Amino acid sequence: MPDMGGSATITAEELLASRELFEGILAIAADAVVSVDQAQRIILFNQGAERIFQFTAAEVLGQPLEILLPTFARAGHGRQVERFGQSPVPARQMGERSVIRGRRKDGEEFPAEASISRIVVGGRTVFTAILRDVTQERAAEEAINSLNTDLRRRATQLENANRELEAFSYSVSHDLRAPLRSISGFSQVLTEDYSDRLDEEGRDYLKRIGDASQRMAQLIDDLLDLSRLSRGEVRRAPVDLSALATAVIADLVAAHPDRRVAVSIAPGLKAEADPHLVRTVLVNLLGNAWKYTSRKDHAHVTFGATADEEGQPAFFVRDDGAGFDMAYADKLFGAFQRLHGMKDFPGTGVGLATVQRIVHKHGGRVWAEGVVDRGATFYFTLQ
Amino acid sequence: MGMKPILLVEDNPDDELLTLRALKKNHIQNDVVVARDGPEALSWLFGDESLGREAIAPSIVLLDLKLPKIDGIEVLRRIRTDPRTRLVPVVILTSSREEQDLINGYQLGANSYIRKPVDFPEFIQAVRQLGLYWLILNEAPPG
Repeated sequence: MPDMGGSATITAEELLASRELFEGILAIAADAVVSVDQAQRIILFNQGAERIFQFTAAEVLGQPLEILLPTFARAGHGRQVERFGQSPVPARQMGERSVIRGRRKDGEEFPAEASISRIVVGGRTVFTAILRDVTQERAAEEAINSLNTDLRRRATQLENANRELEAFSYSVSHDLRAPLRSISGFSQVLTEDYSDRLDEEGRDYLKRIGDASQRMAQLIDDLLDLSRLSRGEVRRAPVDLSALATAVIADLVAAHPDRRVAVSIAPGLKAEADPHLVRTVLVNLLGNAWKYTSRKDHAHVTFGATADEEGQPAFFVRDDGAGFDMAYADKLFGAFQRLHGMKDFPGTGVGLATVQRIVHKHGGRVWAEGVVDRGATFYFTLQ
Repeated sequence: MGMKPILLVEDNPDDELLTLRALKKNHIQNDVVVARDGPEALSWLFGDESLGREAIAPSIVLLDLKLPKIDGIEVLRRIRTDPRTRLVPVVILTSSREEQDLINGYQLGANSYIRKPVDFPEFIQAVRQLGLYWLILNEAPPG
C-alpha cells in the first residue's frame, strides 16, 4: 500500500476509537439524530431520537422516514428532501419559518426545530437531521403570548374604565350642582324677598336648606378632588417637609388668630415626593390636628419623624386633642367616614381618605394611634 | 355708550331666573336677550332671515357650556371666527371646576369665566364684578 501521508492513514485501532467517540457523542446528545439513505430509509437513530420519538432504534432502522412524520407532512417532506438533495447547499436550518412537526410512536405530534445536512460517503448520499423537541418552549411561548394578550386586554379595560370615570366625574360635578344651585338660590330669594312673611322658625328652616346645599356642594367638590387625585400622576421632587409644615401652620394661625396652639416642627425633614400632593397631606393632617384640639385652651401640635419597623422614615403629626377610640381605627381613612358629630367638629370626612390615597400613590403607608380625649398621632411613609 | 343688550345663553330655567335676578340686584339695566340653546344663540348673534331676526350686537355674551344642539364651546368658536363678533366679550358660566379645566384646555378666547356658585350671594358678587368690568370699565368695541 503506497504511503498516502500520515493524516490519511488510519489504523483499525484508530478507526475503532473514532467510531466509539462518534457513538459516545451520539448517545449523550439530547437532540434526536436521524440519518436516512437516498431512499429515505432510516439508517441511524440515536438515543436522543429514541427518547423523543419513543421508538427503539431496532423498530425503525430500515423503515421509511415517513413513520416519524405526521400524516399530512409525509408527501411534501419527501419532495423537500429530494430537492435539498439536488441543491448545492450542504446544510441548512429547517423550520425557521414554520414549525416542523414530528410524530411519536403513539401517534402524538410535536413541534420541533431541526437542521438537516447532506454527506456523501463512499458515493452514497446520507441525509442527517438533528432535531429538538420544542413542545415545552412552544407551550411557554404560548403561555407568554396569552399572558401578554390578557395584559393588553386588561390595560384597555382599565383605560376605558378611567375614561368612564372621568365622564362620570364631569357629569357629577356639572349635573349634581345644577339643582343644588336652584335649592340654594331660591331659598336665598325667599330669605331676601319674603322674610317679613315668615316667622323665626320659618327663617330658621330656610337657613337650614341653604346650609345643607352649601355642605352638599362642598361634598361634591371634595369627592371630585379625591377622584382627580386617583387619576393624576405622582411627580417626585425633593421636598422640604419642615418648611412645608411651617407654611401650612402659618395659614392656620392666620385663619384662627384667637387659637392658642403650641406648635413644634422638627427641622430638616426632607423627602422625595410630589410637592403638591404632600402639601395636601400636611394641610389635611395639620388641619385635623388644629381642628380636633379646638376645645383645648392650650393645645399642642407636633410634626416630626421616626422610623417604621423596616427602618424607613415615618413622618407624624401629633396632637393632644379629641383623639379617637382605637376600635374604630380602621374606619378613619374611609371616604365620608366620620368619628365625630357635625356639631362637635364639622367636616365632610374626605380629608383622611385623601391623605391615604396620596400616601398609597407614593407607595407608602398611613396609620394612626389615638386615645379618646388624649389626642391622636397620624404616621405616614412616602416610599 | 349705548345700552347694548346682554345675550344670556342658558338652558336651565332656574339658572336663567337666578342670573337675571343677580343682574337686577346689581342694577345692571341693559336689556337681556335669553337664548336657550346653541342655534338660538347663533341666530341672535348673526341674525336669521327665516326668523326675520337681525343680529343684536350684544355688549357681552354670558355663555353656559352645556347647551342643547350646539354646545357652548362651539358657539364660542363661531363667535371668535366671525369678524362681526370676534371682539365681543364672552364670559363663560361654568358649573364646575372640571369645566374650567375644559376651557383652559380649549383656549378659545373667552374673556373670562365665572363659576356658578351654589352660594347665591357669591354669584351676585361675581356678576357684580363682571358687570362692573365688562359693561362699565371696559369700553366695548364699536359695533
